[in-house]
Amino acid sequence: MKPAPFELVRPATVDDAVAVLADPAADAKPLAGGQSLVPLLAMRLATPATLVDLNTIGSLTGIDDTADERVRFGAMTRQSTLVRSRRHGLVAHASAWIGHTAIRSRGTIGGSVAHADPSAELPSVAVACDGVIGVAGPDGSRTIAAVDLFESMLETTLRSDEIITEVTLRRPQRWGFAEFARRDGDFALVLAVIAEVADGWRVVLGGVGPTPWRCRDAERLLDDSATDMSGLDEAILDAVADTVETFDDVHASAEYRRAMAAEFTARALADMADREPGDA
Amino acid sequence: MMTDATAPTRKEDHRLLTGRGRFVSDLQLPRMRHVTFVRSPMAHAEIVSVDVAGTVAAGAEVFTSESPGFEVALRALSALPGYVETDQPPLARDKVRFAGEAVAAVVHDDRYLAEDAAEQVIVDYQPLDVTIGAWHQNATAVTNGAWHQTVTPVHDAAPDNVLLQRTFEAGDVDAACDAAAVVVRRELVTNRHGGNPIEGRAGVALFDDGKLTFWSGTQIPHLVRNLIADLVGLAESSIRVIAPDVGGGFGVKAVLYPEDLALCLMAKAMPGTPVKWVEDRSEHLLSACASRDHRYELEAAFDADGRLTAVRGDMWCNVGAYSVMPWTAGIEPLMAGGLLTGPYKLDNYRCTVRGVATNTAPAGPYRGVARPATVYAMECLLDSGAAALGMDPLDLRRINLIGLDDVPYRMPTRLVDDTGHYDECLDEAERRLDLAAVREEQARRRREGGRPIGIGVAIYNELTGLGRAASAGPRMPFRTGHEACTVRVNPDGKVVVLSGVTSQGQGLETTLAQVVADAVGVGYEDVEVRYGDTDQVLWGFGAFSSRQAVIAGGAARLAADELRGNIVALAAELYEANAHDLDLIDGEIRVAGSPDPIGNLADVARASWLESNRLPAGFEPGLDVTRFYDPVMGAFAAGVQLAAIELDPATGGIEILEWVCVEDAGRIINPQIVHGQVVGSLAQGVGGALYEHLVYDELGNLSTGTLLDYLMPTAAEIPDFDVGHVEQPADNPLGVRGVGEGGTLGPAAVIASAIHDALGVELDELPASPDRVWSLMRRAEVGGSP
Repeated sequence: MKPAPFELVRPATVDDAVAVLADPAADAKPLAGGQSLVPLLAMRLATPATLVDLNTIGSLTGIDDTADERVRFGAMTRQSTLVRSRRHGLVAHASAWIGHTAIRSRGTIGGSVAHADPSAELPSVAVACDGVIGVAGPDGSRTIAAVDLFESMLETTLRSDEIITEVTLRRPQRWGFAEFARRDGDFALVLAVIAEVADGWRVVLGGVGPTPWRCRDAERLLDDSATDMSGLDEAILDAVADTVETFDDVHASAEYRRAMAAEFTARALADMADREPGDA
Repeated sequence: MMTDATAPTRKEDHRLLTGRGRFVSDLQLPRMRHVTFVRSPMAHAEIVSVDVAGTVAAGAEVFTSESPGFEVALRALSALPGYVETDQPPLARDKVRFAGEAVAAVVHDDRYLAEDAAEQVIVDYQPLDVTIGAWHQNATAVTNGAWHQTVTPVHDAAPDNVLLQRTFEAGDVDAACDAAAVVVRRELVTNRHGGNPIEGRAGVALFDDGKLTFWSGTQIPHLVRNLIADLVGLAESSIRVIAPDVGGGFGVKAVLYPEDLALCLMAKAMPGTPVKWVEDRSEHLLSACASRDHRYELEAAFDADGRLTAVRGDMWCNVGAYSVMPWTAGIEPLMAGGLLTGPYKLDNYRCTVRGVATNTAPAGPYRGVARPATVYAMECLLDSGAAALGMDPLDLRRINLIGLDDVPYRMPTRLVDDTGHYDECLDEAERRLDLAAVREEQARRRREGGRPIGIGVAIYNELTGLGRAASAGPRMPFRTGHEACTVRVNPDGKVVVLSGVTSQGQGLETTLAQVVADAVGVGYEDVEVRYGDTDQVLWGFGAFSSRQAVIAGGAARLAADELRGNIVALAAELYEANAHDLDLIDGEIRVAGSPDPIGNLADVARASWLESNRLPAGFEPGLDVTRFYDPVMGAFAAGVQLAAIELDPATGGIEILEWVCVEDAGRIINPQIVHGQVVGSLAQGVGGALYEHLVYDELGNLSTGTLLDYLMPTAAEIPDFDVGHVEQPADNPLGVRGVGEGGTLGPAAVIASAIHDALGVELDELPASPDRVWSLMRRAEVGGSP
């Protein structure tokens, strides 16, 4: 469990970082908090020749409100900062479910989104909040909608010479969150995020498939309900159970995951009902 | 429990709790080089070739089975009929038998370089059929004795893969079953899991000037010295094994591993160069011993009053690819069949146990050896029996428990239970749980709704401190019943204890010091305990089978008593007093009835070691006594666990509401240490019952190869345990019973019993993971709830 040899580059600016990543001879990977990448290096499942340390780039931190009612998180914002900062209630709440204190002290919002683990909290939250991912590459900056970023298990549409610079999220008017993990701090077996954002509802489930999964049927039911949500829960849960495509692994059968997808959607709805409007 | 204030500060705490421990990993020696093993990615394959040219070019030394000296093999010996001896080479020879088996060893200046160089080793494998399970899916065929292997055997010596088979038999089982009021049947599968000590395996070997020194995180240094001597071609006298601080063992380190032998062989091939190997967690999960991968088919017969009249059945234990050294492939099956019926009286018993080789990591000792699985099985049978008879499960148990009038009780497997205090433990457990109140709440929820509550029980006897007549292991070429202890007064009057056992965190520096301080009559702070070094300690088998307090404690007590006699006799001459009037208290020599001491131990010691002119006639210099102790039988420790759990019907999740454990530890030497042992073993038991599972896929790859997928419980998953004690002195010098393993024996049984109590469903497979419990609840709903 010792990594293969690599060069460590510590750039001061995003441009410097991108320049290294764009050099094919460098065979480089960006290093954010390292909570997923470092174990992969130690097990030699990842063997980049160069690591580009993003921890030295000051411009990648900071949280601010944008003109269009969104919250902009610098990509290197630590998960512990997300928990402490009350700028975005859902992000703060969901981030407290990430790993343990030591992990959150290093792990970053950009790193979690880039790693694209479907069982992690932040990718599902990003999708639920209409996340816009700011990206820098050799040809300049661009943005990717979170829903278009996650391609498959641990795969994104980021190019190998691009880094995430910021994650911008809507503040939901209402939201609910529920997660089921085998142990305290584990990746989710199933997690559910429900959020009412500007133009409608988002029902997103993590841990059930290769990417955060939006249950469009459930979203439609909520969108069509106008203000009266009473009696809707059963139909929402059926929509989730009927349309989720899930899988078997050592921890649970697909049948069980399907049932938990519905159950934790119900718990997220209940969580939302319990919340004060100020939690947004 | 006694308050911590009554126990002395543990001698090892400052060192171990402030990062000053000295583990094998901390050892730095001049010219030291580092080892990494190239491990097989295949579960079963012929080795066509091993190409090491690239590795040598990278500046590494490489060893394979072709290297000089590596033609030897570990061979766990037993004279038991029905046992097939097989070889385990230090590095795989001709074929690999499990994914993770070491094929080559690469030595370089540091571990990073060694791992880089190891990537250059190219092994060409020709895959063979893979056997993962120790039983056929079609279990009926197996029950009828028709074990037919259709795939390539793991070892040619055992064409049917059965390395050991034995039938335990007593009474007339079939007649008892025919005459029974009810016969219940259970088919049970238990989950492979392992010890996972916080420090993995580790070793440093140095061959210099004709002597081999092996620093090893082993629980059994003297046995290691004995077992490797022939294999490395040295006299045992030329080998020194040192176990420094060791971070947990749990039985996993009571094994001589092929990596240990390989390390010593490498050292011998590189005289003057110390070679170091520190196992990482991936290697541990892949290749250290695991256990409890069993399947049982069992029947129990009861008369109309609930008396257990017969138990019969079959057991298959997955022993993995090799017969573990020195305990053999029999360690789990023989313990499983030998102690299945535990604390319950029984005349008629027949059980055939099999240790079946598979292409998985070898199975070996782990805290509780087989009994966490067999206690689960036995308690399942009793719960099924109670249900069939319409009896209260605790009443049924009380009828069948070995009582005070029954001891010494000869079990159907001829083991002799010397404790009869099960009822007493059960009473205390019921009181602590407040059983009546929990039952009331359970009934209220059944009436008014709410998450179901279940009460689970496990009653067990922990066989501890095994003497020569009940020696650990199956008829091996040695008997593990005894330990040596030397107690010495140094010239300054301080006392040194040299004990043959070892500590992996159990606090033996403290407990043995307490025993010796009390017996000699010196202050606890004036006693120092040393162990783990074969050049320093006369003889010892080490740490396993909950034997340290009973056997090492016994030897320490005998030596200390004799030493005290010697001190008093010498003091009587030196101070011209009558020996019968003298007392040694806190290092001072006192005469009965006189307020001031007449001398002290330092003065007596100085006379003995340095001033032969003061020595009276008939006294040799030196204050030093060595005694052996062997308890011959052993000390059974009664234990009861009782818990209330709450089930989440939506998820199958289990919440532990209360968990009580009451054990008979005999006379308690140190309450804090006993408490720690019980709580730690309960936590490991809960881990095995609810979380931990080593899973292989059909190709023999370990699917749970990291701690992301192999779920060790953390502090967040472990409840506060309520630990109670019944203190019934055992028949040994200290009156103690072992407490190292009891806690692990109950949890799987308790959880299954509680689920049965809550829902009337039978949990036939472990662990009790949420999806399994959920499926069980769903099936019960579909079939109609009870």
